[in-house]
Amino acid sequence: MKEAAISIRNLKKSFKGHLSIGRIEALRGVDLNVPSSGIYGFIGPNGAGKTTTLKIITGLIFPDEGEVKIFGKPNSEFTARSNIGFLPESPYFYDYLTGEELVFFFGSLFKIPKKELKERTVSLLELVGLKGKEKLPLRKYSKGMLQRVGLAQALISDPELLILDEPMSGLDPIGRREIRDLILKLKKEGKTIFFSSHILADAEMICDEVGIIVKGKIVERGKLETLLGKEVRFWDISFRGAQVPLELSQKTVVSHEDLTMIRVDSEEEVETALLLLQSNKSKILSVIPHKASLEEIFLSSVEEGKNDKQN
Amino acid sequence: MTNKIDWLFFIKQITSISKNTYKESIRSKIFYILMAFAVLILGFAVILSFLTIGSQKRIILDLGLAGISFFSVMTSIFVGIGLIYVEIEKKTIYNVLSKPMPRSLFIIGRYFGMMAVLGTNLLAMLLILTVLLAIFKGFTLMVFYAGFFIYMELAVITAIAIFFSSVASPVLSAICTLAFYLIGHTSSTFPEILVPLLHNQFEKKVAIALFHLLPDLSMLNVCNLITYEIPIAQGFTIRAIIYTFSYVLVLLVAACLIFRKRDLV
Ligand SMILES: Nc1ncnc2c1ncn2[C@@H]1O[C@H](COP(=O)(O)OP(=O)(O)O)[C@@H](O)[C@H]1O
Ligand SMILES: [Mg+2]
Repeated sequence: MKEAAISIRNLKKSFKGHLSIGRIEALRGVDLNVPSSGIYGFIGPNGAGKTTTLKIITGLIFPDEGEVKIFGKPNSEFTARSNIGFLPESPYFYDYLTGEELVFFFGSLFKIPKKELKERTVSLLELVGLKGKEKLPLRKYSKGMLQRVGLAQALISDPELLILDEPMSGLDPIGRREIRDLILKLKKEGKTIFFSSHILADAEMICDEVGIIVKGKIVERGKLETLLGKEVRFWDISFRGAQVPLELSQKTVVSHEDLTMIRVDSEEEVETALLLLQSNKSKILSVIPHKASLEEIFLSSVEEGKNDKQN
Repeated sequence: MTNKIDWLFFIKQITSISKNTYKESIRSKIFYILMAFAVLILGFAVILSFLTIGSQKRIILDLGLAGISFFSVMTSIFVGIGLIYVEIEKKTIYNVLSKPMPRSLFIIGRYFGMMAVLGTNLLAMLLILTVLLAIFKGFTLMVFYAGFFIYMELAVITAIAIFFSSVASPVLSAICTLAFYLIGHTSSTFPEILVPLLHNQFEKKVAIALFHLLPDLSMLNVCNLITYEIPIAQGFTIRAIIYTFSYVLVLLVAACLIFRKRDLV
């Protein structure tokens, strides 16, 4: 098995509270394993501790406890950062630089020959769709353009791992889709993408794996398909038949002429319903399991997180 | 072997940060405002030289150097205190420090970038002064010798400013740096005035040791010596260079050490 891109053990971090009263426990023992391929979504509501985790990974703040390894190297070594590209939350850049200068500047902090760096700057700005805007100072960039120039600078060293903090937040639907497509494209190129988001739809569409963080703790993690597949919430059974068996009439959702759809909550119920329908000579048209959406998992995790906090 | 390559790489990173700092300054307004003030002072020196009795060129030289020194120091303080703080405040620092670069290189790079800015600034003003002096038949290369000392003073003050900038808010940094500047220009007189007031031999020793920790900027002040054509003692320059170098080194190392483990929130 390949080494994990990021492995985090028991990360704890607290901040001084408002007016230095008390302490805010931002992270309460976070464990995370980001495999070295695919797209990993780090999902959680606002204030859950996503940015704090990412800042610790990238060495901007230091944990009270716990350890972080990037491709097996402790993140306390600055060289551990040579293989990552980072896009901070709502990125702030030197607004006196042009897009081109900015990407070139950040690239110059890596071991990249100057000529190659120039070429890469041009091609990356093109990749993120900023061709023609590269000579414009960043203070004239829109939020979406900043996000894109941010992605370009994160890619300048051609890193294996990209860490993006809320890459889609604050963008309009088109902007979100463009960033999403870009992330998928980067995945195809073999990059590992670790991104945080409080918006589930984005994650659900592109992630291979997710970790859900609530109040500084990971409450759910795993492959998106298994997470979503784990909980079938209900089944919809459609059938054609003159009569609906009495036992099932309670469960009818819609009924139109001889077409009926019923909804049941468990596998046993599916079986009994099917038996009843067969004996009734109804024609079964479909049995559709409805799995939980990420949103439902998310909401129930958040609920659990809240309860956890109260205890 | 790998060590050597890394050193070169570090220098490259420092250079990048410095260049960017330089760009930042010359694209900001404050730089030009302070520059304009310095030019005004030079103009003022010329006007004043017409109004006073005595050597015209001496007044231009005297006031000119004082004005240049003053406005360079102000630039150094007011741009210097923001060097680190502003990057944290504007959150631009996140992206730089997430790169594979030790944090200390950021501080060093910012410092050298600022020194390059101040150097350009100073050189421009010295050239204007030289031209003015030449017009009044007082051309002297001593202007540049004085300029070199002003530059050393700027090196110390910028190091003080960047030190405070990496630990405190701009207002506090400004106050502290200004205080250091003022103390720096008077500290050489402290022992003479204060030490006789102490009775015990031990206290005197401690006091003198403490005085040595304060910056002694009079050591870097040749403007008066030049305008009054007082011969400059042998070894004065060397001593000043060594003094500047050590002071800057200590301050930068301290700033880097403090900054190393700081949470950037
Ligand atoms: N510098 C700070 N000082 C005090 N509290 C902080 C600081 N940074 C984050 N926090 C707190 O830590 C928690 C996690 O914040 P954050 O990691 O930014 O959440 P997210 O990115 O998931 O929205 C929040 O309760 C936030 O208020
Ligand atoms: Mg956040």
